[in-house]
Amino acid sequence: MIGAAAQTAWYVYGVVRVSDARVAGVDAVEHGALAALVERVSLDEFGEDVLPERLNDRQWLEEKARAHEGVLVRAAVAAPVVPLRFGTIVRERDDVASLLARNEEPFERTLALVDGRWELGVKGWQSEPAVEDAGGPASGGPASEGAASGRAYLEQRRAERRRADVAAGERATVAAAAHERLLARAVDGVVNRPQPRELTGRDDAMILNGAYLVERDDDALGREVDSLNLEYGSRGYSFELTGPWPPHNFVVGDDAA
Amino acid sequence: MSSRELARSSNGGGPAQLADVLERVLDKGIVIAGDIRINLLDIELLTVKLRLLVASADKAREMGIDWWEGDPFLSRRAQGGELEDRLRRLEQAAGLRDGREEES
Repeated sequence: MIGAAAQTAWYVYGVVRVSDARVAGVDAVEHGALAALVERVSLDEFGEDVLPERLNDRQWLEEKARAHEGVLVRAAVAAPVVPLRFGTIVRERDDVASLLARNEEPFERTLALVDGRWELGVKGWQSEPAVEDAGGPASGGPASEGAASGRAYLEQRRAERRRADVAAGERATVAAAAHERLLARAVDGVVNRPQPRELTGRDDAMILNGAYLVERDDDALGREVDSLNLEYGSRGYSFELTGPWPPHNFVVGDDAA
Repeated sequence: MSSRELARSSNGGGPAQLADVLERVLDKGIVIAGDIRINLLDIELLTVKLRLLVASADKAREMGIDWWEGDPFLSRRAQGGELEDRLRRLEQAAGLRDGREEES
């Protein structure tokens, strides 16, 4: 704390049209038709030398990730916005303007794509605990040494695997069918990796992790989620709508640099 | 505009699930080279996802989770036996591992 004030840099959350520069209630740097939603941050927090440690501080990461998302959500519910990846930071305010200039094309294309639309998420779950094998015996447990029990063990494993294959096939079929139906109700859609239980904290297995770009005034995706629940509920599947999200999954093009 | 309820999460309209937020802000969105180099592979918390791999690679593959196979960083790591230990430490440090393991 002694001496000069902490050095700062500019954190860039996202990009909007210049007419929407005030939409998220944060500072904005304008360049031509575009405006970057920015905030001055301290290099004590976001400097290269401290970042690796910060990123592994769960509380810090959660706080910053939610702050990043919060700014983008405020923008997204009101105006088209291009979400930038977490941690986009430049040194000087002028550098923000050149960032806008350099990437004008992907920004404009994304703004055009997401105008009047937003992203909704749909997660599909299977309530039956997915095939129980918990990795236990596979590592060669303290089972008996006998050949007979060895064979029985192998056969049991094989039967488990067959059941697992059938169950996995069914899950995949349901997930694919659901995604296809949801996609038909959206402008675009992507399937992301299902999140493991360690991240969801739920006993249910995630079978579908989809993101869909929809018109803001269109309820069709939500209705499709309802009908998926009606149809598949009795088989232990459920579907859940999340969002609206900033259109993270529907950006067009990355920085060539 | 309809009055459709858009729950932000399954928690009855509470804040979005952290996993959903992290997945989006760390893994999606336009990537622009800034002045501060931020290496998201530094986020060891993300490797918590590897729990599935450790538990059962076959199971993960069944679920279509095989992304680590194309990732030299992760697959190299996955060879090592120290991975499990490392994850356990990380998860404990991160408070992501609950008491389930203790009751064995």
